[in-house]
Amino acid sequence: MTATETRAAPPRRSRARRRGPSRKTREMWLLMLPAMVPVLLFSMGPLLYGIGLAFTDARNTRVHQTEFVGLENFTALLADDEFWSSFRIGAIWSVSVTVLQFVAALGLALLLNEKLRGRAVARVLSVVPWAMPPVVIGLMWKLVYHPDAGILNDLLGTHVNWLADFSLALPAIIVVGVWAGMPQTTVVLLAGLQNVPKELYEAGEMDGAGSWRRFWSITLPQLRPVIVAITSLDFVWNINQFGLVYVLTQGGPGGRTRLPMLFAYEEAFRYRMAGYASMLGLAMAIVVLAVLGLYLWRQMREAR
Amino acid sequence: MRIKSALAAAAVLTLAAACGGGGGESSSSPGAPVKLDFLSLAWQKESVAANKQIVDEWNKANPGIQVTYVQGSWDNVNDQLVTQFAGGTAPDVIHNDSPALAGFASDGYLLDLGAKLPAELKSDIPQTAWDTVTFDGGKGEQGVYGVPFLQESQVIIANKKLLDDSGVRVPAAGDPWTWDEFSAAAKKMTKGGTFGVAWPMKSPVNKTLNLALNFGGTFFQTAGGKTTVKVGPEEREVLQRIHDQLYKDKSADPAALGQGTADPLPAFYKGKFALLPTGVYLRQQVAEQAPDGFEWVTLPAPKGTSAQQGAVSQTLSIAQESEHPDEAMKFISFFLNGANQAKLAKGDWLLPTSQTAAADPAMTTKENGWDVATASAKDLVVAPFLKVNGFDEWKSKVATPALQEYFADKITLDQAATKLVEDGNKVLERYQR
Repeated sequence: MTATETRAAPPRRSRARRRGPSRKTREMWLLMLPAMVPVLLFSMGPLLYGIGLAFTDARNTRVHQTEFVGLENFTALLADDEFWSSFRIGAIWSVSVTVLQFVAALGLALLLNEKLRGRAVARVLSVVPWAMPPVVIGLMWKLVYHPDAGILNDLLGTHVNWLADFSLALPAIIVVGVWAGMPQTTVVLLAGLQNVPKELYEAGEMDGAGSWRRFWSITLPQLRPVIVAITSLDFVWNINQFGLVYVLTQGGPGGRTRLPMLFAYEEAFRYRMAGYASMLGLAMAIVVLAVLGLYLWRQMREAR
Repeated sequence: MRIKSALAAAAVLTLAAACGGGGGESSSSPGAPVKLDFLSLAWQKESVAANKQIVDEWNKANPGIQVTYVQGSWDNVNDQLVTQFAGGTAPDVIHNDSPALAGFASDGYLLDLGAKLPAELKSDIPQTAWDTVTFDGGKGEQGVYGVPFLQESQVIIANKKLLDDSGVRVPAAGDPWTWDEFSAAAKKMTKGGTFGVAWPMKSPVNKTLNLALNFGGTFFQTAGGKTTVKVGPEEREVLQRIHDQLYKDKSADPAALGQGTADPLPAFYKGKFALLPTGVYLRQQVAEQAPDGFEWVTLPAPKGTSAQQGAVSQTLSIAQESEHPDEAMKFISFFLNGANQAKLAKGDWLLPTSQTAAADPAMTTKENGWDVATASAKDLVVAPFLKVNGFDEWKSKVATPALQEYFADKITLDQAATKLVEDGNKVLERYQR
C-alpha cells in the first residue's frame, strides 16, 4: 500500500513533506523499505487480491468474464444450507478440540512438571507428535481407524468403520485433532508452570492450603496469560485446520466432517467458484477475528 | 532527492519482481527436442509398467519429441488440474476420464482435437466411444476434447461353487439374466449364513446411474437449454430392485453396504456371498488375490428392458495452452494405436475402445472372463450424465448422501427422489447462468 501510494503522487507529497516529517523519519522509512517490499508483495498483495475476489463472480475458468457483483456472494452464503452445516461442524470441531486439547495438555504439563523419574525422557516423548506433519498424522490415524486392519477395532473386538459412519466420523477426527495439537499446548503450559514463583506455593503450604486449593488459587491465576494466549492460538489453528481432515475423511461421509476450510477448498478447486470461495474465506476470517476479539477483550478486562 | 531515487529503486524492484513471477519459460531454441509432459493416472502395477514402456519406446523412436512421464493419482487429479490450468503450468498430454472432461472443456482449458485426429485413429475407435468425449466447448459449439481409450462395463463376478450348487441357469455373454432372474437367483443362493449378492455402496452414484439405463433411466432431462434432474418410474426401477434385495428378499449381505468396491473381496473368497456386481477391472484383484482352489466366473450384468449400460471412458487430452499441440497429437496416436491399447487394457483389466485391440486374442480368451468382459462392450452407450454441467457437484453434494441414506434404509425412495430432484436442481442452476 505505502509503496504504491507514494509512488503514485510524488510531487505533491514531496512538497507537503518539506515541512512535515523530519529527516530522521524519512530515513527510517528508507531503511525499512527493503523489508517492507516482500511483505507487501507476497503477504498483503495476495490477501487484498483474495478480498477483492470475494466481491466478484470469479471462476477458475478460461472463458469466463469476471464481473464485480458486490455482496451477491455474501447473500448467497447466508442462504446456503451447506455453508451453515459446515459452519456448525467447524464450530463443534474447533471448540471441542481446543477445550479438550487444553484440559489434556494441562494435565500432562502438571505431570511433567513434577519431579518424577524419567521426566526428561517423558518430556521429549510428549513433543514427538509435534514433529510430524499433519498429513503423516492423518495417514497414521487412518490406519488406526481402518475397519478391517485397524488397531482400534482389534483392541475393541468390533467391526466399526469409524471414519465412514455418519455419527462417529466427527468424534473420531476430534480425537485425532486433540492428539495432534497437544504437544505445543503442553510445552507452552509447561513453560508457564516453570515460571510460577516457588515462594507462592511455599506460602500457600504454610497457610495450610491443600494441593487442589493451591492449584485453583495459585497455579491457574498465575498461568492465566499463558492460557489465554495458547487457547486463542489453538482456536485459530483448529478452525483453520485442513490437511489433517482432508487426509482422514475428505469431508465425508456425506459432508459430516466438512469443516469450513474444506468447504472453501471444494468450492474453489472442485467446483471452480473462486469468487464464492473467497467470500467464504473472508467470512471465516471475520468470524475468527470477532470471536477472538471478544475473548481477548474479556480476558484483558478481567485481568486488569 | 534522496526520496525520489529511493522511490525509483523501489519501483524498479517491484517491476523486476512482477516480471520474474509472470514470465513464462522461454521457448526452446531451434534444433533442441520438443519436450512434452504426459500426466498419467495409471496405478495398477502392470498398467504403470505398460505406460512407461510405451513412453520409452516413443522416446527412442522420436529423438525430436521427448515425452516425460509424470505420475498423477485419480484421487486428486481434478483438483490438481484446476490449479495447474489456472496457473498455466498444466501438462501437455493429460490422462483423465470423460466425466471430468465436460467441465474442463466448457471452461476452455482443453484443446478441441476434432481437426487434428489422424484418420486411422479416428476410424479404429467406434462412434459410441467418441460420443463420450464430445462436449460443448463453452461457446455453444461441440468439440472432441479427448481420445477415449479404456472403458469400464459392469459385470457380475460369481463364486463358481455356490453358483453351480444353486442349480440356476448360468448366463452367457449374449444371454444375460433379467433383473427378475437375477433377484430370484440371489434369493436361491441365500441360505445358512450365505448371502446371494453383495452391493458395496460407499460410492453408489456412478454404479446405480450406469445400471439405471437397463430400464431407460437417465436421471437428467434437457429442455430449452436447461438441464434438470428427473427421477421417474424408469429411474426408480434399479434403485428399488437393489433395495428389495437388501431389505425385502434379504438376499444381499448388509455388511458390504458401507464398503468401497474392493472391500468385500475377503468375504467373497470365504464364500460369505455368491455374486458381486462390479466393474470389469476388479477381476484383476480376484485373479491375483483369491486363495488357491477358489473358483470364480465372470457373468454379464443383468438386463432390464435392454442390456444397455452407461459408459465412461478414460481419455487422453491436450491442454489448450500446450505449446506443441501437433507433437502431442502425434504422441497420443502412437500411444493409443491398436497394439498399445491392448497392452494398456490388459494392464488395467479394462476394455479397449480400439477395434483392433478388442480383436486381440488376449482380449477374447475365456481365461479370467475376458470373453464376457469384452462382449459387454457392445452394450455400452454414452452415460447421459456425462453431458451435464455441474454433475460432479450434484454427485458429491446431493446424490451420494441421498443414495447412501436410501440404501441404508434411513429414507424412503420418495424422500430420496425429492432430494435428488429439488436439491439437485438448485445445484445445477449455478452452472446455467
